Amino acid sequence: MKVGIVGVGFMGTAHAEAWAATDAELVGFAAETTDAAGSLASLYGKQIFSDLDAMLPHVDVVDICTPTHLHYDMVLQAAAAGKHVICEKPLARTVAHSRLMVDACREAGVRLLVGHVVRFFPQYAAARQAVVDGQIGKPGVLRLTRCSYRPKKPVGNWFLDEARSGGILMDLMIHDYDYARWVAGDVEAVFARKIASAHPDASVDYALAILTHKNGAISHIAGGWAYPPPTFRTALEIAGDAGLIQFDSQETAPIQNFIAKSGAADSPDVAIPSSPVSESPYTTQIKEFYAALQSGSPARVSPEDGLAAVQIAQAAIYSDESGTAVRPDQFVELQS
Amino acid sequence: MKIGIMSFAHHHAEAYIYLLRAIPGVELLGVADEDSERGRSIAETYGARFYPSYESLLAAGLDGVIITSENNKHLPMVAMAAAAGINILCEKPLATTVADARAIVDACDQAGVTLMTAFPMRFSAPLMEIKNRLDAGELGQVYAFNATNQGELPTKHRAWFVDKTLAGGGAIVDHTVHLVDIMRWFLGSEVSEVYAQVNRIFHAAEVEVETSALEMLTFEDGTFATIDASWSRPPYWPTWGGLAFEMVTERGAVLVDAFKQNLTVYAHAVQRPVWAHWGSDSNRAMLEEFVQAVRQKRTARVTGLDGLRAVEVVEAAYRSVETGQPVRLKESPATPIEKRRKTAHKPS
Repeated sequence: MKVGIVGVGFMGTAHAEAWAATDAELVGFAAETTDAAGSLASLYGKQIFSDLDAMLPHVDVVDICTPTHLHYDMVLQAAAAGKHVICEKPLARTVAHSRLMVDACREAGVRLLVGHVVRFFPQYAAARQAVVDGQIGKPGVLRLTRCSYRPKKPVGNWFLDEARSGGILMDLMIHDYDYARWVAGDVEAVFARKIASAHPDASVDYALAILTHKNGAISHIAGGWAYPPPTFRTALEIAGDAGLIQFDSQETAPIQNFIAKSGAADSPDVAIPSSPVSESPYTTQIKEFYAALQSGSPARVSPEDGLAAVQIAQAAIYSDESGTAVRPDQFVELQS
Repeated sequence: MKIGIMSFAHHHAEAYIYLLRAIPGVELLGVADEDSERGRSIAETYGARFYPSYESLLAAGLDGVIITSENNKHLPMVAMAAAAGINILCEKPLATTVADARAIVDACDQAGVTLMTAFPMRFSAPLMEIKNRLDAGELGQVYAFNATNQGELPTKHRAWFVDKTLAGGGAIVDHTVHLVDIMRWFLGSEVSEVYAQVNRIFHAAEVEVETSALEMLTFEDGTFATIDASWSRPPYWPTWGGLAFEMVTERGAVLVDAFKQNLTVYAHAVQRPVWAHWGSDSNRAMLEEFVQAVRQKRTARVTGLDGLRAVEVVEAAYRSVETGQPVRLKESPATPIEKRRKTAHKPS
């Protein structure tokens, strides 16, 4: 199976490392930023393609790691060429685009695997499994927290351009909308607020969302680009009628450093949560996606899961703008 | 300084007895309880004098009284004590309805007695540290709070905590007011809007009120805040629950846990970890302030109006649960004391 990666930012880099751990053939990279592509390509001894068009004839699978606003065109292009697609989260910037992408892949008979990588983080996967196994009874309240610092790419920082990324309520918090839905099922109401709306010039952003699930459970989602680098804190709490599960990255860090650093402290452009484990969650994800592509079996993230997460994100954005509670399914009715 | 206690319906009354006795110059004159069996028994346990009626206690020459009845009985008890000219510390929430809370504030205004709402978190050492850092400008402008006041099902203490009439509701009325008061105190701004969602998944077979609640408040200054008021701690949790929040400011965030100062104790006899709190007792500092306010014939650091404002948020939260949409708080008319303050502070 021949794989090509589009986009060579931090996510393209993480996926390249993940593919290297499989026996799939990574053919090369397509990217606008040829400098970054060059260093990745030489690291893995692979080709550079000028764009997706040039890469398509050489691959069976397209792994899309580009900024969110580019996903729609690329997924449609890959599907039209009959190639399987792996697409980073969020699936697209809007529900309307997401729906068209899901339909296009189904009609073309190709797989669409959405990179909701939180489902592959061992602590998140284990917590969900404990719920599925009935260890804590019926979930009543979920609390999911994800806070780091502002993505700091100096040029063309698409993360901070709400038109391209959807801002914090979409780009960051979609991880936890998807996880909440994976644990407690579909969502019927969303209410959200974020700092950037009240204080457009603030140097930090932080948002809070309350989700109401169809089964009655309620979820509290907190997302932040507010801490000084390099801190990235994630936390989860699932309270059930027969027990409680908690995780906090600060409290479970196996190593605490009290070591003096020489020179200025460094931090990556975009924070990625980490706790030393034998396999990166990105690798776990790519291995499962690869196995699903080889066998034709379902992966733990379906195309509809990717779409539903975008629906919640768009409802959160609209709730923040309108000041009202919003039903995620209204976006299908409005825009399809 | 002679203090009395009206009703043992709230379990805090028992802690107040021994805390009061530790304050120099304070005499616990006596206690009264409409449940005379409960009242006599607790009075005997603590060696306090039991009065057969509230009237007889109020006529015994008190300087101040602590009201620890069921939430919906605060108004008649306050009215009685105020009419007797006695200063009042009333357990939180001040009332189960805004109308009752306003009547409580007005009754004390008219009688000219000091009314303090029992918000001990105003006297919590970690929270006072945050308030000082905020006022010194060290933390910058506050933008948001992500707050929790979770607990066990409170029936462990008293059955009426889950009675809709006596308590005024479930998790919302129990666990909203402390955080509302803390945020108002920190921000100096009032709540303008509330959104709330609830369910009854925990203890569904045992109680009829909501056992979980997530609320989103918006303040007049633009700050927004969530409160998790859920009774989501299992009965074998290491303590009763907790109060914690992340406060996000223009300079980052602080995580504050008001009850983090614990020993973790593992005892064979208990077979599970228990958190033994060694931090300062904020109830003691709250009672000291009440005593000082009465002694100095001044307004207490926490007022009846603070209690009223918190009840307004609770009532709006229940309206939001009914409508599924955020509810704006009505502009409360200024109380007589507020009007006097406005006049007094008007620049000439």
